[in-house]
Amino acid sequence: MSQQLASAGFQQKILDKQLVKLPQQIKYCTKCAISNQRPRIEFDAEGVCGACRYVDIKTKGTDWTSREKELAALCDLHRSKDGSFDVIVPCSGGKDSSRVAHELKHTYGMNPLTVTWAPFEYTPEGFRNFRNFTKSGFNNLMAWPNGHIHRKLARIAFEALGDAWQPFTYGQVCYAFHIAKSFGIKLVFFGENGEAEYSGDPRVFNLRGMPFDHWAEQYFKGVTVDDLIQYGLTQTDYLTKDDYVDSDLTFYRPPNLDLMKKIGVEFHWFSYYKMWVPQENYYYASEHTGFQANPTGRSEGTYSKYASLDDQFDGYHYYLAFIKFGIGRATSDAAHEVRDGHLTRDEAVGLIRRFDGEFPSRWFPQFLEYLDITEEQFWAVVDRYRLPHIWKKEDGRWKLRQAIYDESGPYQDEPGYLLTTPASANISAQS
Amino acid sequence: MTLKTRIISRLDIKGPNLVKGVHLEGLRVLGKPEKFARYYYQAGADELFYQDTVASLYNRNHLGELVRRTAQEIGIPMCVGGGLRTLADIRAVLRAGADKIAVNTGAVRNPDFIRQSAEAFGSSTIVVAIEVIRQPDGTPFCFVDNGRESTGLNAIEWAQQVESLGAGEILLTSVDREGTGNGFDIPLVKQIADLVNIPVIAHGGAGTAVHVADVIKKGHADAVALASLLHYGVYAELASDSDDFNAEGNTQFMKRNATNKRIKPVHLADLKASLTSAGLPMRLPHAQT
Amino acid sequence: MSLSIPPVAVVDFGLGNLFSVQLALTRAGLSSIITDNPEDLRTAPAVIVPGVGAFGDAMNALRARKLDAALHDYRQSGRPIVGICLGQQLFMEESEEFGAHKGLGFIPGTVRRLPAGLLAEDGRKIKVPTVGWNTIARPAARPTGWAGTLLEGVREESDMYFVHSYRVILDNDAEALATTTYAGTVYCSALQQDNITAFQFHPEKSGQEGQKIYQNLAAQLAKDSRVPILELHSQGAVPPSN
Repeated sequence: MSQQLASAGFQQKILDKQLVKLPQQIKYCTKCAISNQRPRIEFDAEGVCGACRYVDIKTKGTDWTSREKELAALCDLHRSKDGSFDVIVPCSGGKDSSRVAHELKHTYGMNPLTVTWAPFEYTPEGFRNFRNFTKSGFNNLMAWPNGHIHRKLARIAFEALGDAWQPFTYGQVCYAFHIAKSFGIKLVFFGENGEAEYSGDPRVFNLRGMPFDHWAEQYFKGVTVDDLIQYGLTQTDYLTKDDYVDSDLTFYRPPNLDLMKKIGVEFHWFSYYKMWVPQENYYYASEHTGFQANPTGRSEGTYSKYASLDDQFDGYHYYLAFIKFGIGRATSDAAHEVRDGHLTRDEAVGLIRRFDGEFPSRWFPQFLEYLDITEEQFWAVVDRYRLPHIWKKEDGRWKLRQAIYDESGPYQDEPGYLLTTPASANISAQS
Repeated sequence: MTLKTRIISRLDIKGPNLVKGVHLEGLRVLGKPEKFARYYYQAGADELFYQDTVASLYNRNHLGELVRRTAQEIGIPMCVGGGLRTLADIRAVLRAGADKIAVNTGAVRNPDFIRQSAEAFGSSTIVVAIEVIRQPDGTPFCFVDNGRESTGLNAIEWAQQVESLGAGEILLTSVDREGTGNGFDIPLVKQIADLVNIPVIAHGGAGTAVHVADVIKKGHADAVALASLLHYGVYAELASDSDDFNAEGNTQFMKRNATNKRIKPVHLADLKASLTSAGLPMRLPHAQT
Repeated sequence: MSLSIPPVAVVDFGLGNLFSVQLALTRAGLSSIITDNPEDLRTAPAVIVPGVGAFGDAMNALRARKLDAALHDYRQSGRPIVGICLGQQLFMEESEEFGAHKGLGFIPGTVRRLPAGLLAEDGRKIKVPTVGWNTIARPAARPTGWAGTLLEGVREESDMYFVHSYRVILDNDAEALATTTYAGTVYCSALQQDNITAFQFHPEKSGQEGQKIYQNLAAQLAKDSRVPILELHSQGAVPPSN
C-alpha cells in the first residue's frame, strides 16, 4: 500500500483506510453519475448505485406521513414545559441546518439551542449567512478549538489522510454532544444521514438516529484525533508534546460514555422524518433565515451556488476527493441532483465535464499559510494520493484514466444555438 | 396620453418546465411555460420574456419549439434569451418567432457581438442583459450564467459600453434581490436608467405591488420584468393532473401546493390597476370584441 | 385560409424580422411570401413594406434590388400598400437621418428625429428610441373616423406597440390617420393616401387591436375585384421563403 502510493522521496505512511478498498475497475452508475470509487458505495447487477436505489425507497417506499407523525411524537416527548432548551441542533448557518433548526422551532414548537463548531476560517458570505440565521431568531453557542493545535491537526490530516478537513469533522459532531451533556439535553438533531443519501448503505435506511453508544462505537473504529496526534508525534517534525495539553482535545472526543447513557442522549437525523432534498432546504433557508447564495458566483469546482459556503478551505476537501477518488465537487452535486430528479444524467455529465476538478484558487494562499506548508509541499502530498488505477500521466500532465465524459469528448466551449427539439428532456450535452 | 410603462412577464425555462429560483439559483418547477404565456397574454402583459435558464451552463438553447408555439398564440412582443453566441443563433430564434433577443455571456465574451448583432438585426432587436451582484463594499459587479461567473466588469461602466455598442435596451437584473421579494435595488436601477439613453428594464426583487411602483417612480425604470410576483399567484390554478413532469423537475413545491412567504403575489390585472391608481401610465385590458 | 388569393408580398430588403408579419397575415387568413424580387410584387394582391433600421440603408437596399421602381408601379395599380414602422418613413419624400436621404416620395412630408435628451417632470430621461405601448388617437381633422380604412373597428385610444427614433411630418394633415404623443411631441402614427396606408407602430405586435388591421386587409382583399385569381393554393401554410 505504501509502495503503491509513495511518490519519489515521500516516506510518511498513509492512515486513510478507505483507499485500499477501492475497486480497481472504474464504473459509473447508469442512473446518476457517481462512480464506484466513492467509499462504501455498492453497485448492483444493473450497474445502479446504492444511493439511487435508496432514492426509490425514499420517494416510493416510505410513508412520509407516518414518519412525520413520529417526528411530532418525538417532539411532544422532548418538548420542555417551561421553554428551556430541549433540543441541540448542530448548525453552521448553512441551508441544511438552518432549515432543521427553523422547522423544529416553528413547526414543532421546540426550543432549539443551536451549536456551531467553527469552520477553519470563515468566508465573508458564510459568516453573513450565519449571522442572518441567528438574527432570524436563534440562540447559538459557537466553539473555536485551540487554534494552534487545530492547525497542526489539519496539516497532519492533510498529509496522513489526504484531507485537512478531518479535525473539523470530529468537533462537528462531538461538540454538540458536549453541550447536550452540559445542559442535560437528550435530543440532538442532525440534518442528513450521509450514509443513506450518498452511499445508500441499506443498513442505515430505517435508522432514525443512533443511541449514543452505538455512534461512539463507530467513531472509535475510524481514525480518531488521538490517531492523528500519534501520527504527528511519530511521523512528523512539526508536532511535539509541547504543542498541546489534553484539555485542548476535549471537543474532538466524545464526552464520557456512561454519562451520556445516564442522561439518555440520542441523536436523530432530520432526513429520516422528512424527505431530504437539499435544494428544498435552500429555498426554505432563503425564505426563512435570510440565507443568501454565494455572491461571488458558483463555488469553485462546481456549478452550485448554495452548498457548503462557510469555510475558506472547503474547496480543498473536495479537491482532494477528486484526486483520491476521481470524484470532485461537481460530481457530488450533480449526482445528487440527478437522484432528486432535478437534472438528467446527460446534463450531469455535461456539468462534470465542465467543472469537476477545477482547482479552488480563491483561498489557496490562506490554506497554505494555515497549514504552514509551501506550494511544493502541497502538490507533493496531492500527488501521493493519485492512485494508479484512477490517474495516468500523459504528456507530462495528470489525466483521469476513465472520466465519465470520455465518450462525449473534452469540454469545448463552442458557440451554438440548437433549435432541434429533443424527443424528451434527455439530450446529450455535446449535441 | 403618453408612453405606458411596460410590465413584462419573465419566464425562466429549463427543458419542458417553467422554473423559479432565488438569486437565479434553484430549479423549482412551477408548471408548463405555454400555460403561463397564454395566461399572461390574455391577462394583459405588455411583453413576454423567455429565458433558457441553463443554456449557458450546458452550452445549448432549446427554446425553439416553445418559441414557435408561443408565437402562434400571442400577439405581443416576445424576447428570448439564453446561450446566444453567434448571428446564426440570433437568426434562428427570430425565425422561430421571437421579436427581440437577449444576450449576456455572448456580449461579455465578445462585446463586438453587440455591434454586429445590432447592425445585422437592428438595435431595437438586441437587448443586453446585465446580471449584477453587489460586492461587500457595494460595488455592482457583472456576472454571467445566472450569477455563476464573475466578469470583473463594473455594471455602471458596462451599461454605458453596451449602449455605445448599439444595444437597444438593457435588462438589468439584481441577482442579490432576485427571488427574495425584498424589493428592487432602486439605487442601481436609477443610476443606470439616468445614465443611458436607451430603455432600462428592471428585474429582480419584486415582493409586492408597491415594489413595482417604487422602481418605476423612484428607480426611473422604463419597464419592469416580473417573475415571482406573478408566477406564485397563478401556478396553482394553471396546474393540472395531466401535466407531465416525469422527465425532470424539482416539483416538491408544486406537490405541496405551497406558498412562498416572501412574496405577496398579485394578478397581473390587479397589479396594473394598482399601478394606475398610483398615477403610473399603464396599458389596461379592455373587453375584447 | 383563403384558397384563392395569391400570397401577399412582404418586401424584404434585408433589415428587420419579417416572421411576425407573416404570422399576423396567416392568422388573418392570408398567405404571404417574403421577397426581394420585384416580379413577386407584380402578382401580389397587396404589398407590405415593413422594416427596422436606418432610412439610408433601406433606401439603398430598395434601389439596389429595383424594388423602388416596383413599388412605384405597384402604387399605380391601386392595390393596397401597407407600410410598417420604417416602411412608413420610407414612403415620405426625405429623411434627415444620418444626412438627408430621399425616400420613395409617395407622401409629401419629411422624417425627423424625436427630440432627444429631454427630461420628464420627475427628472427621468425621456428615452429615444421610444419603446413600448402608446395610444393612437383619431385626429380632429378626420370626422369620418376610421371607417373604410385599415383601422376600421379598432378602438380609438387603444394602445399599440411602438419602437422608433424618427417620426414622419406630413405636409397634408388630411392624410394623418392617427396621432400619438411622446416626448412632448404629437406626431402622426398612422397615415393614409388612397391605396397607401402606413403605421409607425407594429400592428403584428399590438395584440388583438393590432390584429384587426390585418383582418381588415384580408376583408378588403376578399371583396376587391381587382385581386387577380391566379390559381388555387392547396395548402394554407405560409410558404417559407428566404
